[in-house]
Amino acid sequence: MTAELTALALAGLLQGAQFALMSIPANLELGPGKTMSPRDPDRLGKPLVEQVSPGTGRLIRALNNHFEGLILFTLAVVVVSLADKTSGLTATFAWTYLTARILYIPAYYFGLSPWRSLIWFVGFLATMAMLVLAFL
Amino acid sequence: MLSDELSILALYGLLVAVTLVLQATGYMNKLGMGYLMSSRDEQHTVTGMTARLDRALNNSIVAMALFAPAVLIIVLRDASSAQTILMAQIFLLARLVYVPAYIFGIIGVRTLAWGAGFVATCVLFLLAL
Repeated sequence: MTAELTALALAGLLQGAQFALMSIPANLELGPGKTMSPRDPDRLGKPLVEQVSPGTGRLIRALNNHFEGLILFTLAVVVVSLADKTSGLTATFAWTYLTARILYIPAYYFGLSPWRSLIWFVGFLATMAMLVLAFL
Repeated sequence: MLSDELSILALYGLLVAVTLVLQATGYMNKLGMGYLMSSRDEQHTVTGMTARLDRALNNSIVAMALFAPAVLIIVLRDASSAQTILMAQIFLLARLVYVPAYIFGIIGVRTLAWGAGFVATCVLFLLAL
């Protein structure tokens, strides 16, 4: 398996891990009565994301942000892989992306500003670089 | 080499990235860099053009999640043809129209562009069978 595909598979597992990391405290805080309900707004009072503790809220936002990052990264990996454009450079960018997305979670949870934003930007740039390299 | 569908997929990725940068710029203007770099524990809602960019970006991501697998299947199955390339081109063009149509609130055009992109994606899936 190429480095890019390995990084993509690990990023998928990271998404699964992030889901668990968010859903366990969220379920403990809200209770299954709320999380397993159809979550109709008129019965919840206010959105579930506003009912959890600040730390859990951060984990929820970190997960949602990674959906966006992951779909762009998936696209970049698919394009460079199928177009046979993988190189040492694209592998480095793929690992950079994965590292950034791992660091992003503690940076969000512990409220490390401006590091979280910078880490996000590194992951975003790595993805963009891979997409641009597909054309070169 | 980049086959045409793949080039279009890569270009669409760049379009979504540009939309994301525009949305982030809007947030920066409305809410300030300090809030954006904070942990955003208090909820802030945006309105107007920034909110439109927010919705346009979310819709673009949903469209990408459908378009990317269609292209993936076509490329992996070597099912590329003049029709699949045309459908991919229609998709990209429709999404290029969609984003400004949403930002500037051009009623009708946005919905038509969304429909064209969605139908082109569906046809791609049919051609991939």
